[in-house]
Amino acid sequence: MAHAATHDHHDHHGAPKGFFQRWVMSTNHKDIGTLYLIFSLTMFFIGGAFAMVIRAELFKPGMQLVQPYFFNEMTTMHALVMIFGAIMPAFVGLANWMVPLMVGAPDMALPRMNNLSFWILPFAFFMLLSTLFMPGGGPAGGWTMYPPLSLQGESVAYVIFAIHLMGISSIMGAINIIATILNMRAPGMDLLKMPVFVWSWLITAFLLIAVMPVLAGAVTMLLTDKYFHTNFFNAAGGGDPVLFQHIFWFFGHPEVYIMILPAFGIISEIIPTFARKPIFGYRAMVFAIASIAFLSFIVWAHHMFAVGLPMGAEIFFMYATMLIAVPTGVKVFNWVSTMWGGSMTFETPMLFSIAFVILFTIGGFSGLMLALAPADFQYHDTYFVVAHFHYVLVTGAAFSIMAAAYYWIPKWSGHMYSETWGKIHFWSSVISVNVLFFPQHFLGLAGMPRRIPDYNVAFANFNMVSSIGGFWFGASQLIFLGVIIHCVFFSKKKAADRSWEGAKGLEWTVPSPAPFHTFDVPPVIHDDELAHGNTDH
Amino acid sequence: MQDKTDIEMAARLKRARVTALIAGGFAVSVFLLSIVQMLKV
Repeated sequence: MAHAATHDHHDHHGAPKGFFQRWVMSTNHKDIGTLYLIFSLTMFFIGGAFAMVIRAELFKPGMQLVQPYFFNEMTTMHALVMIFGAIMPAFVGLANWMVPLMVGAPDMALPRMNNLSFWILPFAFFMLLSTLFMPGGGPAGGWTMYPPLSLQGESVAYVIFAIHLMGISSIMGAINIIATILNMRAPGMDLLKMPVFVWSWLITAFLLIAVMPVLAGAVTMLLTDKYFHTNFFNAAGGGDPVLFQHIFWFFGHPEVYIMILPAFGIISEIIPTFARKPIFGYRAMVFAIASIAFLSFIVWAHHMFAVGLPMGAEIFFMYATMLIAVPTGVKVFNWVSTMWGGSMTFETPMLFSIAFVILFTIGGFSGLMLALAPADFQYHDTYFVVAHFHYVLVTGAAFSIMAAAYYWIPKWSGHMYSETWGKIHFWSSVISVNVLFFPQHFLGLAGMPRRIPDYNVAFANFNMVSSIGGFWFGASQLIFLGVIIHCVFFSKKKAADRSWEGAKGLEWTVPSPAPFHTFDVPPVIHDDELAHGNTDH
Repeated sequence: MQDKTDIEMAARLKRARVTALIAGGFAVSVFLLSIVQMLKV
């Protein structure tokens, strides 16, 4: 296996002593990864609190707790915070921590830009969240910011500036990841020998630099429409509000894959470890990720079937969308094939990964239903859509992040987490998340619209069940927080360098916790120890 | 041996900066393309 060189040949400096120097001025990929993960967990709970308000209001028909405008602020902020504040930074944090360790690099290629990428984010979210306290309130037109609705209110400039900052942060993070993966790999770590997680992030980073500027362009035009009297999206002035939807979803659909491709990479690391088998079809997995990324650029209008597209466009986008099921199916079958005949054990990361495969597939199937243009006329803007994307993003993206946290936290902290409490967290989460979201399919099929604070009494029972699931799922995440805090600060159980029996890859050759500096001397890599096995066979 | 490693690393970092510039240039181009309509104003 690779010989791990973990110390600098110069003065063996460790982490800076002062708090400010260590965390605010950090250029170390592990510390910046930790900052990203802490930030994302904080945003996860803030966004989760917004979700609790939504589910509390929807517990019963009629107006319960909040004013309708505040409800709309909650749905909008919940999405913005969860997408840009929780899921994306969590994946960037995981990339920061693990990509250099997995490819045998001493750090990210551009460490100072890495620092800037992170520290932009707290300011962006402070500004975004502060709009809730401004006269007139925060954004309430939905995270998609369709004009003219999104242009109401006085907080538009703050929201758009916050989105610009998030975009700049994401683009800089993506550039850093591309530069690191393409240039900083240890000798012998060929592209087709990289772990699937690294591949998934390389492709995700390309998606990011291709579409985040499109979002920036769209919101810039919103800004000029609002404050500089342009009419890009103003029908009265000769503009076209549907144009915004096209531009937004040209960003928005690849954005969905930005939030799921790294999850595919994580699951492709964890399942082989706990099945004690190399991943089945390594190259097919890589090409499937690339195929999904390509297809993500030619399906955007499936979000707009109900807007009045020409028939030819409806048919094209319907078939293009259904095509995504092919590479996604390749991935699902390969994960199952990896498990087939393996010596499986069911530690918490594996449990979350198996739940991911099953529940993400449910989200995928409901996505196929939505891809059918004629059917989408029925489903559009109903709770069926809400159920669909929460299966993809909660039991998909969020579950993969939890799986990754349990899988790699021994390497990060040097301690093992409590397996008992990890499993309690898993079972509590996996049951409650289905109680929360599965009834929403029925609500949607019965015609309940999304983004409303009140509803017909016909929808009462399923909404009550869904809300109970929501409160239960929210409470379950406090267990997650407890497990992490216990593991990092109180756990007595030391983690081995190779924390899992079946784990392979360079990251497991360095001590646990990973030293402040790793791979200052490039490691020597032997193919038979790579996580996906020897691809030359 | 160590000097060789340092030289190799310096070369890698230089290549990484070029990669970053290309990727950044691409991102800026996409942004400009996405607001190309503003030129019509």
